[in-house]
Amino acid sequence: MDQDVLTVLKLLMIGESNVGKSSILLRFTEDEFHENMQSTVGMDYRTKQVTIDGNTVKLAIWDTAGQERFRTLTPSYYRDGQGAILVYDVTDRVTFMKLETWLNELNTYCNKTDIIKMVVGNKIDLPNREVSTEEGLQFARRHQTLYIESSAKTADGIKCCFEELVQKIIQTPGLWDRHTLINSYGNGNMGGVRHRGQRGIQLADDTQLYNRPSNCYCSLI
Amino acid sequence: MEDYLPNEYDVVVVGTGMTESIVAAAASRIGKKVLHLDSDEYYGGLWATFNFDGLQKWIEDLKVSKSSAKDVSEVDLELEEKFLKTSNEYSTVENIEETWYISNDADLPVVSSKDTQTDSTGDGSGSGDEKSDDDKVEKKENVKQWSIDRIRKEYRKFNIDLAPKLLFARGELVELLISSNIARYAEFRAVSRVATFMDGKLTQVPCSRADVFANKTVSVVEKRMLMQLLTSCMEQGADSPEFDGFRDKTFLEYLNTKNLTPIVQHYVVQAIAMATEKTSCRDGVNRTKHFLNSLGRYGNTPFLWPMYGSGELPQCFCRLCAVFGGVYCLKRQLDGVVIHKNKCKAIISGKQRISLEHLVLGQGHLPPEVVASEGEQRISRGIFITDKSIMQGEKENLTLLYYPPEQPDQEPVTLIELGPSTNACPQGLFMVHMTCKRTTNAKEDLAYVVNKFLKAEPLDPLAIRSSIHSHTQTVSPDKRHIQEGDQDNREESTEESPKPQVLWSLYLNLPASDIKLNESTPSNLHLCSGPDLELDFDFAVNQAKSIFESMYPDKDFLPRAPDPEEIVLEGEEAPGPKFEGDTEAEEKQDVEKAEKED
Ligand SMILES: Cc1cc2nc3c(=O)[nH]c(=O)nc-3n(C[C@H](O)[C@H](O)[C@H](O)COP(=O)(O)OP(=O)(O)OC[C@H]3O[C@@H](n4cnc5c(N)ncnc54)[C@H](O)[C@@H]3O)c2cc1C
Ligand SMILES: Nc1nc2c(ncn2[C@@H]2O[C@H](COP(=O)(O)OP(=O)(O)O)[C@@H](O)[C@H]2O)c(=O)[nH]1
Ligand SMILES: [Mg+2]
Repeated sequence: MDQDVLTVLKLLMIGESNVGKSSILLRFTEDEFHENMQSTVGMDYRTKQVTIDGNTVKLAIWDTAGQERFRTLTPSYYRDGQGAILVYDVTDRVTFMKLETWLNELNTYCNKTDIIKMVVGNKIDLPNREVSTEEGLQFARRHQTLYIESSAKTADGIKCCFEELVQKIIQTPGLWDRHTLINSYGNGNMGGVRHRGQRGIQLADDTQLYNRPSNCYCSLI
Repeated sequence: MEDYLPNEYDVVVVGTGMTESIVAAAASRIGKKVLHLDSDEYYGGLWATFNFDGLQKWIEDLKVSKSSAKDVSEVDLELEEKFLKTSNEYSTVENIEETWYISNDADLPVVSSKDTQTDSTGDGSGSGDEKSDDDKVEKKENVKQWSIDRIRKEYRKFNIDLAPKLLFARGELVELLISSNIARYAEFRAVSRVATFMDGKLTQVPCSRADVFANKTVSVVEKRMLMQLLTSCMEQGADSPEFDGFRDKTFLEYLNTKNLTPIVQHYVVQAIAMATEKTSCRDGVNRTKHFLNSLGRYGNTPFLWPMYGSGELPQCFCRLCAVFGGVYCLKRQLDGVVIHKNKCKAIISGKQRISLEHLVLGQGHLPPEVVASEGEQRISRGIFITDKSIMQGEKENLTLLYYPPEQPDQEPVTLIELGPSTNACPQGLFMVHMTCKRTTNAKEDLAYVVNKFLKAEPLDPLAIRSSIHSHTQTVSPDKRHIQEGDQDNREESTEESPKPQVLWSLYLNLPASDIKLNESTPSNLHLCSGPDLELDFDFAVNQAKSIFESMYPDKDFLPRAPDPEEIVLEGEEAPGPKFEGDTEAEEKQDVEKAEKED
């Protein structure tokens, strides 16, 4: 079914609480917006298939599960991320100033040194802006990241944000490989699919594949 | 400064070790309100994995004793309430000894300008991008050599475990990771070989059919013997009449009646059952069964290693806990617990009083008043960065070796060697972990195994210089190659294969994992032990299960978490999403259980 999918990419949402990370994700994957967004219990990451420049890729976009609140994201959250979306709220300067810390944390824990970063100034539909576009752009330039402004409420910039990020990832050799394909993120890991090469084995329910726990020694007799 | 937390929970968990994290995940998964704290700024406690820099910080911090300043007088108590101060004395790490066997860059000889050519052949694995002059000089010198500075510089490429453990491919943890769907957060490497020390040298224990056939040390008759024995362990189990006469005897005594050849007996005792002379017949049979059961699922041996280290696994459970609403706060000290009529009512953390139904405490946070015995199963650990494998060969990526004692006063040592692609260390290096039960201190306890397999003496700086010269003065890369080969041959003829050189080592003693609480401890206070001596995680998983069972006897333990596709998002009006898969998944689990039982 995923025959035409070029690869699976892992994207990370980071930034202060309440800036709209989950809202951006929900707008992008479900085209929905909730004025009173409650953190979705049990929501881990969302997947979405996108086609960019003729290449279809499957995105697994990971949300923070609220662990950003006391800056307690587990280092393993960052593992193998190929793209990171750093979100701040344009109506809240503090969230913009905290970006630096988030960038540091990302650089500390992310094992891919060439991970592509996208800085997003969110909530541009609101009137009481505190951070100008110019400032946002400057920050992005200084840290060599992509930059976009968005509103999860009006859907402004949301699609663009993901498309530009994915485009840049695809253009970066060595950051992704076709082999990631056999790891069907979010497709359920059913079916005993195994990684080869650089990445490790993923455990999966293989009871359907091999109905009895066989062992090599005993198959000798 | 201090983060303000909501102050009412069903379950408060203190410490992010393995058992604590599993309990936290299980409680959160069934909808309980969970607060998970750790006084450290990293996850895992004594189960943590650090990069090289993080480990250095950890060692530094141990020197500074953490003092919990809070006193009873400072706590506001209600009538009949008692305040018990918590203590970190039950998680004390002792006898830390860190040693370098190599030099700083500054102490390495300066290489003359002739060497540009060598430099241009480069190692290609260039780590940093900045090409300062400094870097160039270093590159020249260190085409092959590792220095203290270089290891420090590449600190991110190290993942160093305080408590390295393996998973049996059909062990408790693998099954739990799969059935709970937490497996999606982790990746593993299969242990590439199980080694054993026989007739004065290391050999690989055949684990797969191909291995057994290819093995020339074992005769056809012996193969038969081995198979028969293994089948009876496997199919009949320890309760079979086969073992009737050996209920109170050792595994060895049983094997001695089977007329096995020494080789076969060696494989069974030392590699498969990982038993000593004292191991009971029952334990030996069970261990053999466990090993055999796990064969053939992933890779060539029954064992898996968590990529990036054992410290990843508690984090996976923490993530699940958070996904289901658990609140996380690190670097947050627990000062004490409030007891009311033999029930634990609240904890005091900084300025906050946080009330709870159940308190789950890592052993580093126990009030001394509830501790009955400090335990005896203390652990000696040695960690070594080396330059080659203890047994060079194509399967040198990940090796397990069980080494039984040579003398009666020694303890068996478990050795795990992590090579390239485990992410434990950069290409070209190996990380050796040794673990045994403590008798004196880590360094003394492990010395007999270290001396056997490693060269733990300082590298002579002169030797470094001469070897650098032999590389750098060679103009053509081809010639250099030949010269290297020559050298190797020469070395091999004098000694069978040179022992790995230790570049860096760390010894430490971890606390006991079998602390016991008083009978009078409040029944809603639950103890989570630190890392134990066993090779796998079964102890932690089973402890977590029994804690959860005592807290919520009627609830499922970590039922399968839905995949994102299975979550139906609903509008604001209906709080809490429904999981399409839930009932179905439970049904399926029941089927699986039934299958396992017959
Ligand atoms: C559940 C299970 C039960 C097994 N039972 C037995 C047994 O009873 N007797 C026995 O001799 N061997 C058994 N094997 C196979 C065994 O584990 C080894 O894979 C086999 O011995 C070949 O080893 P190798 O080192 O030559 O190749 P490997 O490197 O292990 O594998 C060779 C190739 O086969 C592929 N491959 C192997 N297994 C899988 C898989 N499960 N899914 C996807 N690709 C795979 C690998 O990707 C690789 O390209 C079993 C494997 C599994 C997964
Ligand atoms: N007006 C406006 N509100 C937004 C926007 N994005 C998010 N919000 C609101 O901001 C609050 C926090 O959003 P959430 O996605 O939970 O932030 P998170 O903590 O970063 O995941 C919610 O009440 C959202 O409805 C936006 O673009 N415009
Ligand atoms: Mg959110």
